[in-house]
Amino acid sequence: MRHGLPGAAALAAALFVGAAGAADVEAGRQKAAVCAECHGPDGNSSDPAVPSLAGQPAQFLSGQLFFFREEYRREPRMSPAAKALSNSDMNDLAAYFASVKPAPPKHVTTPENEQRGLELTQKFRCVQCHSAGLQGQQHVPRIAGQQPEYLRAQLRGFKQRTRSDIDGYMTQMAQPLSDHEIDVLVDYIAGLRTPSRAAAGGSR
Amino acid sequence: MLTRSIALALVSAACAANAQDKPAASPPPSWQQGKPPAMSESTLHPFAIEMTGKAAKDLPIDKLKAPAGFKVEVWAEGMPGARSMAQGDKGTVFVGTRQLKDVYAVVDRGGKREAKVLLKGLDAPNGLVFNKGTLYVAERHRITRYDGIENQLDNPPQAKVVVDNLDPNKQPGHFWKFLAMGPDGKLYFNIGAPGNIVMPSYMEASVMRVDPARGVLETVALGVRNSVGMDFHPKTKELWFTNHARDWLSDDSPNDTLHRVSRKGMHFGYPYCHQGDTPDPEFGKNRSCKEFDAPTLKLGAHIAPIGMRFYNGKMFPAEYQNNIFIAMRGSWNRTIKQGYNVMRVVLDDSGKVAKYEPFLTGFLLDEKADPPMWGRPNDVMVMRDGSLLVSDDQNGIIYRVSYAK
Repeated sequence: MRHGLPGAAALAAALFVGAAGAADVEAGRQKAAVCAECHGPDGNSSDPAVPSLAGQPAQFLSGQLFFFREEYRREPRMSPAAKALSNSDMNDLAAYFASVKPAPPKHVTTPENEQRGLELTQKFRCVQCHSAGLQGQQHVPRIAGQQPEYLRAQLRGFKQRTRSDIDGYMTQMAQPLSDHEIDVLVDYIAGLRTPSRAAAGGSR
Repeated sequence: MLTRSIALALVSAACAANAQDKPAASPPPSWQQGKPPAMSESTLHPFAIEMTGKAAKDLPIDKLKAPAGFKVEVWAEGMPGARSMAQGDKGTVFVGTRQLKDVYAVVDRGGKREAKVLLKGLDAPNGLVFNKGTLYVAERHRITRYDGIENQLDNPPQAKVVVDNLDPNKQPGHFWKFLAMGPDGKLYFNIGAPGNIVMPSYMEASVMRVDPARGVLETVALGVRNSVGMDFHPKTKELWFTNHARDWLSDDSPNDTLHRVSRKGMHFGYPYCHQGDTPDPEFGKNRSCKEFDAPTLKLGAHIAPIGMRFYNGKMFPAEYQNNIFIAMRGSWNRTIKQGYNVMRVVLDDSGKVAKYEPFLTGFLLDEKADPPMWGRPNDVMVMRDGSLLVSDDQNGIIYRVSYAK
């Protein structure tokens, strides 16, 4: 049994699973109204510590909402926010945010980190999972142009083994990173604007 | 380089199991372990399931094809991560999960299936078997029993432990379990290998059995990397099981395999020899495959066979009697993808394989795409009416295959 349930509605949503409705972008848009306060209108965040959701892969979004609800991934605001959501709600929200065009990032990479950041993403083969241009795929997030303080907190969390990690791969990858390297990666990735530029950070 | 040094570190860590020093490196996920430096640039990766499930309405269900006379339909949905299935005496279908912590119960109410979460907060409750009113559940570290559960689906009884401490090292690896009830009244299950290609320790890389009354463990078979499907031949009562071979050697080798256990204590080769005839480049250097027992059938490389059951129902045509159905959940570790079918194995009277062919196809959409499939067959189960259920953990759906003349 789940502990700390907020109410009967959440209990029903959590314990009874039924014929699932098709994921609905419009229903997701309406359910997403509450998300805008932190994640920005249309899921394009303007807070450096809060991630943008716009244009993220749907499977990544629904998966993270699930992890927040089930407390595989703990976060003081998101875990309670996800508590009342059913799986269908999560699929609707994921369909909606995945359909929104991501705004270009405001962050501008410092010139000295352009090359060093690129080299680090090559060294750690970030594109292997995060895909060409670090645009994300399937259950793996788009990190190109993501908010810098959010990226920094995640990388530090992986290094400290405090960030939830479905298979341990990011935790493993983050272990050899120095604090300085994390800063370089964040500065570089947060400023990635176009897939074509980021694609140069590929496997060649 | 990085992967190799970590693999070596893992081996030495396993040798000094009780070392107090905290390792500096984090272990790689088991799917990455043993990836050779030559493949370091490979972008092959396993596919993650939809943690919230997917609605059948959002999926190309009409692509599913079975032989003439057979019908395929969605039987139940809304069970994210649905894997192993077991049927209760009163018709409840119990469904286990691996990445979630839930066991579902599906009850048929006037032709409509109602699914609900029955048990929560378990550790990879993948293995399920129902016997004489009791549901047995195999978690990563233990096997438990829930007596009389079908009478109290709304208020399940407390778990009683059959056997515990099956995963004392708590390392990454293939430790989710399949569970089967043997004709001897013992519970059969796997303990997989702790990585892709690693020297096993403890009771790893084995098929085990436990007497549920006494909790005494016995080794049934060794050298088994990861078996998550097993069943007993309806006539000979011998144990058969599927097994996943190692990754990162090549697209076409080694094959995943089907095994027949004709005596207790057979050794099927892991980590020294794969598919009965292919020495491992590292662990098999100074060993011969002749030393080990060979598989009965090579199933294809990387196709990830999970559930397998003998067909002993009354619905399908007579030639299906005692055939084996095998669900393929892969491939991922292959440049051009294959698999994602439910296969049919026909045996002759001596138990030799006479035919191996696809039975249910259509999950694989584009062998070169990433992902290449829209669904993944996980377990197969013969219902009491003779129809075949197929679980799909990618989407949390169960399909039913039936036959009408």
